[in-house]
Amino acid sequence: MEALFLIVMVIAIASAILMLLSENAVHSALFLIVNFGCVAVLYLMLDAPFLAMIQIAVYAGAIMVLFLFVIMLLGAEKLTSQTKRFIWLTPLAIVLAAAFALIVGAAILNGEIDLTPPTERTPQLRVVHAAPYAGSVDVYANGELLASDVSFSDATDFVELPAGDYTITLNPVGTANAVVTVNVSLDGDSSRQANTYTAVAYGGTRSIAPEVALFPDNVEAVDAKTARLSVFNGTNSPVNLVDFGSDFDPTDDRVLLADLAPGMLVELPLVSEDTSVRSWAFTGVDAAQTNLERLPVLVRLNNPEVYSVKRDTAQLLVVSTEGLFDGTTREVVFPLVDRSVAPFGGPQAVGQLLFSRFVLPFQLIAILLLAAMIGAIVLTHKEGFQPRRRDVRRKVMKPLANVISEQVGSDVLVDETPLLPEKQAEPAGD
Amino acid sequence: MVQTETFVMLSAVLFILGAMGVLLRRNAILLFMSVELMLNASNLALVAFARHWQQMEGHLFVFFVIAVAAAEVAVGLALIVAIFRSKQSINIDELHQMEG
Repeated sequence: MEALFLIVMVIAIASAILMLLSENAVHSALFLIVNFGCVAVLYLMLDAPFLAMIQIAVYAGAIMVLFLFVIMLLGAEKLTSQTKRFIWLTPLAIVLAAAFALIVGAAILNGEIDLTPPTERTPQLRVVHAAPYAGSVDVYANGELLASDVSFSDATDFVELPAGDYTITLNPVGTANAVVTVNVSLDGDSSRQANTYTAVAYGGTRSIAPEVALFPDNVEAVDAKTARLSVFNGTNSPVNLVDFGSDFDPTDDRVLLADLAPGMLVELPLVSEDTSVRSWAFTGVDAAQTNLERLPVLVRLNNPEVYSVKRDTAQLLVVSTEGLFDGTTREVVFPLVDRSVAPFGGPQAVGQLLFSRFVLPFQLIAILLLAAMIGAIVLTHKEGFQPRRRDVRRKVMKPLANVISEQVGSDVLVDETPLLPEKQAEPAGD
Repeated sequence: MVQTETFVMLSAVLFILGAMGVLLRRNAILLFMSVELMLNASNLALVAFARHWQQMEGHLFVFFVIAVAAAEVAVGLALIVAIFRSKQSINIDELHQMEG
């Protein structure tokens, strides 16, 4: 990395100097293209692949082609005859540049660029309600309302909270007596793209309060066309996740996730987009049972409306127990799907910003480019845009009046119409 | 991992080279190219700081700077062509009087 950087840096500076010194403007333009290429490589090193592409396509491509085109068009390769009018400018420029270099060097070396660590990412917390007997709840963090009226199998949005310790309380809607209280500590981890945490309230019965599990949640970008799946067990007993494959073939059954204890979260290996989860099911655990078909199936994920895998998403499957009206319980699985955070510097991340917070500047730039295009056309138009002269129209009018006079049979405009000048006789010969 | 400081230093060097080009060269087209070099140097610093702070906004600004540079080049080169047509020269020393 260091060696590559040094090579690119030397080439960049050398090509910039050569650009300044070369007498031929075409050579200068070509050296500038080399310099732009080096800068594009540096962008790649700085985690900015999208800008590296733009740099090559727009700068080294479009803009420099325009430069070369104009140089060739004007034949301006060697047009700089050195006039001696501003002879004092050269030493002044060198002195000014040296002064600027000194100031900038001092500012960078004495500044605190590298002493400051990268910013800590503000933690984001969401609370998932998977406690069947708690009813709808309001969620408070340190006494402040995070979200109100969160019902079972629902989750709050990700809420940004400054790093620190929090007391999360879940109160039944509109009341002040907490169903469950838990102390959590969120830290500003800078290594993760999105510093997200998920707290799941799960378990409990009519008499026992539910528990809350907090874990860092991974919504970071994944490889192209893949999705991230995590499973949280919110029931009171361990579960398996089994892919039963084809219904008629007992040999293609496989265990995706074995013996997930209550209150645990496990992230599955990345799955490709549009993976069919129709044959997946959560089952109970029976260590003695070797035939997977015999395991008690709790929930099948066979409803594609609810359970599906889409690319660039991070999905959390929460297994929970739901109390029914007749007093029995059954297991349910609800998916919490989030768009994954796009990788830093990629086209997706730039696009997400460009079309959300930066729409207005984007529009302004578009208008500016349009104005520049019109301006360039106006400036280079050969005659400029003068209004059309009036006598062109009059020339057409006069013969027309004559034609009308001939057709009517009398000179309608005889008083007003001056006679056309007599057409001069063609000179004899060729 | 190359330090942010190094990138900023390189950006400063390129910027100074561009500024010297603007001050020293008399060819209007070369002047424009030097301005492009300066814009590029500032872009490099922006991207370096964007990585340092892990903030994408810097990339957006670079994107806008590139768009503005494209507009500037289009108008500027059109101006140069127009000036060359009337003066038969693009030496900026001969253009210092603002006469038609």
